[in-house]
Amino acid sequence: MNKIKKIGSLSKLVHFVLVLVLFVPFLSHAYTGITIVLSAPSQTNLDFVDSFKEELIATKNHNLKVKVIDLQETEKLIVAENSELVIALGVKALTAASKLKHTTPVIGVFTPLPTFNALLESSGRDLGIFSAIVLDQPYSRQISLIKTVLPEIKTLGILLGSTSSRYAEHLRDEGEKNSLNVSLETINDESELIPKLQKVLESNDALLAIPDPSIYNRETAQPILLTSYRHQKPVFGYSQSYVRAGALAAVYSNTKHLAKQAAEIAIKTQQAPGLLPPPQTPKYFSVLVNHQVARSLNITVMNDEDIYKILLKLEMTQHEEARH
Amino acid sequence: MTNKKHLLLLMLLVIANLQIAHAKEENVQIVSEDDYIGDVPKVLTVSRLSQPLSDAPSAVTVIDRATIRASGIVDLPEIFRLVPGFYVGTNAGYIYNSNHVVSYHGMATAYAGTMQVLINGRSVYTPVFGGVKWSELPIAIADIERIEVTRGPNAASYGANSYFGVINILTEHPSEAEGNKISVTHGDGRNEAFYRHGGKLGDLSYRITTGYREDDGLDNRNDFKRTRLLNAQADYQINDTNSLEFEFGIANGNRADGEAAKDYVLFVPREREIFNHYELIRWQHNISADSDFKLQAYHSFDRSNDNFTSTNLRANAAKLFIENGFLPAVANAFVGTFLNDQVSINNDIDTERFDIEAQHTFSPVSNLRVVWGGSTRLDNTYAPYWLGTKATDRFKLQRLFGHVEWRINDKLLMNVGSMVEHNSFTGTDISPRASINFKITPNQTIRLGVSSALRTPNYVEEKFNAKVIIPRVAPFPAGVAYTFQDAGNVNPEKIVSREIGYLGDFGQFSLDAKIFNDEISDFISTPRIPNFVTPGFTNLAGRARSGENGGDVLVNGFETQAKWRLTKDTNLLLNYAYVDITANEDDTTSNINQSAPRHTISALLTHRFDSNWDASLAYYQTSKTTQLGDGNPVDLIRKCDIRVARKFSSGNWNGEVSGVVENLFDSHDQEFADYNTLKRRARINLRLDF
Repeated sequence: MNKIKKIGSLSKLVHFVLVLVLFVPFLSHAYTGITIVLSAPSQTNLDFVDSFKEELIATKNHNLKVKVIDLQETEKLIVAENSELVIALGVKALTAASKLKHTTPVIGVFTPLPTFNALLESSGRDLGIFSAIVLDQPYSRQISLIKTVLPEIKTLGILLGSTSSRYAEHLRDEGEKNSLNVSLETINDESELIPKLQKVLESNDALLAIPDPSIYNRETAQPILLTSYRHQKPVFGYSQSYVRAGALAAVYSNTKHLAKQAAEIAIKTQQAPGLLPPPQTPKYFSVLVNHQVARSLNITVMNDEDIYKILLKLEMTQHEEARH
Repeated sequence: MTNKKHLLLLMLLVIANLQIAHAKEENVQIVSEDDYIGDVPKVLTVSRLSQPLSDAPSAVTVIDRATIRASGIVDLPEIFRLVPGFYVGTNAGYIYNSNHVVSYHGMATAYAGTMQVLINGRSVYTPVFGGVKWSELPIAIADIERIEVTRGPNAASYGANSYFGVINILTEHPSEAEGNKISVTHGDGRNEAFYRHGGKLGDLSYRITTGYREDDGLDNRNDFKRTRLLNAQADYQINDTNSLEFEFGIANGNRADGEAAKDYVLFVPREREIFNHYELIRWQHNISADSDFKLQAYHSFDRSNDNFTSTNLRANAAKLFIENGFLPAVANAFVGTFLNDQVSINNDIDTERFDIEAQHTFSPVSNLRVVWGGSTRLDNTYAPYWLGTKATDRFKLQRLFGHVEWRINDKLLMNVGSMVEHNSFTGTDISPRASINFKITPNQTIRLGVSSALRTPNYVEEKFNAKVIIPRVAPFPAGVAYTFQDAGNVNPEKIVSREIGYLGDFGQFSLDAKIFNDEISDFISTPRIPNFVTPGFTNLAGRARSGENGGDVLVNGFETQAKWRLTKDTNLLLNYAYVDITANEDDTTSNINQSAPRHTISALLTHRFDSNWDASLAYYQTSKTTQLGDGNPVDLIRKCDIRVARKFSSGNWNGEVSGVVENLFDSHDQEFADYNTLKRRARINLRLDF
């Protein structure tokens, strides 16, 4: 007992020191602008940089300097250490940035939530200095989309894998809030995928795809979408690409959306340096419907823009309710 | 000492923590942004998406796996009893194709040739007698994903011979069939065993099914069937926009044929060997989000080995002469001049088909969907007896087709299509169609359609030149033509079909109804020609036949299909059809007005008791009918089938035991002809998936 107490107090001390180290240097550091770190010079990442800069100009924040570093060309990220804010695009960039000294504020973009959590844990960084705009759309938004597209829906099937299984409770709760019966199946082995998918499709009105590389990947897209289509059940995807492949609809955030949100954070951070907002889901989004799939499944769907407006309105009322 | 202990403990804890952390890292897959926003190959491409029933240009019945399973059938054609307006006759015909007859709106012989039948887009329609040799198809029922039946001509989409309707059988995609499946059936006059393996090798998914079927046929008929089959299907995903599909199938076995009471030459009871195989390759290319291209080529070969010797002819021929008005003494003297007692006939038939088809599907603007393409086919037929030559006959066919679906607005949809076909038998023909679908409410549709189709004559009607010559002793010249069939050189049969359809979908209840009017002209029949002069031979009066174009036939009727979800676990499928055929029997063929039952009813009730037990009850009723060709008058039939199944699983094994009783009340009704008596039959099936 005694020993454990001692270890406890030791960790408290370490923590204290850590917090001290985290905040003190900031007061002395001069403003050095924003550094965007690219995992790779992909089109998406380059578009992000452009949109980000445009957003700064549009909001009259010309004074913010933006430096871009390509991780593939830069061995050492150390140059970014004195930035006021590091925006890491992609998992590789965020992993590298998480190894910077703990005083450099880092925000990840194009980062899945599970990866952000893993990096937060492994880097030992604190939330105020390490944050992200995750790629995961809020479940409430996805459920709202489903309810808007299929007002008659009663049961929703979800397949969970090793990564996504930790969100089971959240999904169930979100369904309950919207009087939607959510049935979950956990896939432990690749061979279970199709039988469990068939089981879920037989007893539910639709399938919601929750990103998990062990379930939804390039190779499984064909059997999942074909099987669902043959059961004449719609799939709600998580990306534009999945909708184009054959899912019925998805809410998604494009580069522009994420750049706008990141710019907002950057501007705020400039005003209150060293205190990043907590990790957040995408604020701006679009709706994409595969109307050919809708037609083939004989589902009457309004146009994407109208659905988007409904979702926006819903989120505003939800927000209002939360405030009261 | 205490300090050392502390240190040791701390170290242990650190190590333990490290191990935990390490273990955690291994468990958690690092999810990258590509897992969220990376490209996914397009799966439901524009050509893979079918029209919903409410947009289709004609009435369509979809039979899914669940229905096939619940029906408890072992013979594939039996499933069409659940399609309104369809007639299914057990074991029709005596030779070459003593299979089920499946027809729609009547006018069919044992070799019903009025419908196009496709398996994954490959035509299995046989050119010799027409129709489909159902029991010889190298396909296992368990591999079928669903069957789409277009009720009405659809030549604009599927080509000529999509005359009264189109049956499109679609098998499960290989990627959905991973693992192993064993199915064993034992019952009255029936034993079956099938094994299937599905797997994946990188970007290649495949499925192989092999099986053996023993069918003892009906009582009092020489109609047993033994079939071995192997079927393989593979899909190779080259990249995001290209895939290759391969199919292969082979079947062989023995068939008992013949019916002594009907004819003592051609229908002499005997056994023959069948053998067939096919190979198919299909390239699917996704050009863009709204555009697909497909190129398909296949080859199929079918052989029936049937060399036989007739019964003793003298007595029977004498009887025939007497029946035809000869004095017994003259008749007996005449048969005395026969050289031999018997004749030998080489009824081997080989057919071979090569077919290439290209199809482009695209959507130039969002409310327009266009399919167009072309195909070319070569059919080689070797049938020395029927064609009167040992030379292989070549039948060539070229097609060009186009179809446009135009969504005028939310309520109005128009389908327009046409096909131009050129073939060696009848030259160039055009089959157009048009329909308008009007959504009166979001879940109710009215459809008005008119479509025309042509039926290219089969070899029986067009080219048969068959004779059985009984040689005579010197000094009598030549021989006696016992039977003679002359080349018809007929024109194609034409159909113009008009329909008004209604579709309503009310959640638990859906209804599909249509009234139709089919106008057939140039009806082809193969009547006997009483005064036929057989060149060079003495003819047995009344035994010559030839194909000819006859008069007009009018088919009017009404059919409906209702699906009712009574409770969460109870479903009812109900079909009714009223078919009225009117034709002048002097100009067409006798019994044509009775060639479809006036009323057909079928129903399937399924119920799931719990997650393991389920049962279904099927009811089939057809009113009296006289089928053409080898058919003869049969009365009203009522038949009830029952199926009970229990699922079980243990570890990695899933299974099901099911029992089926066909014709529960042992009604002893006759089907298709008076020689086919239906009796009660039971069987049990065990299925294991692992």
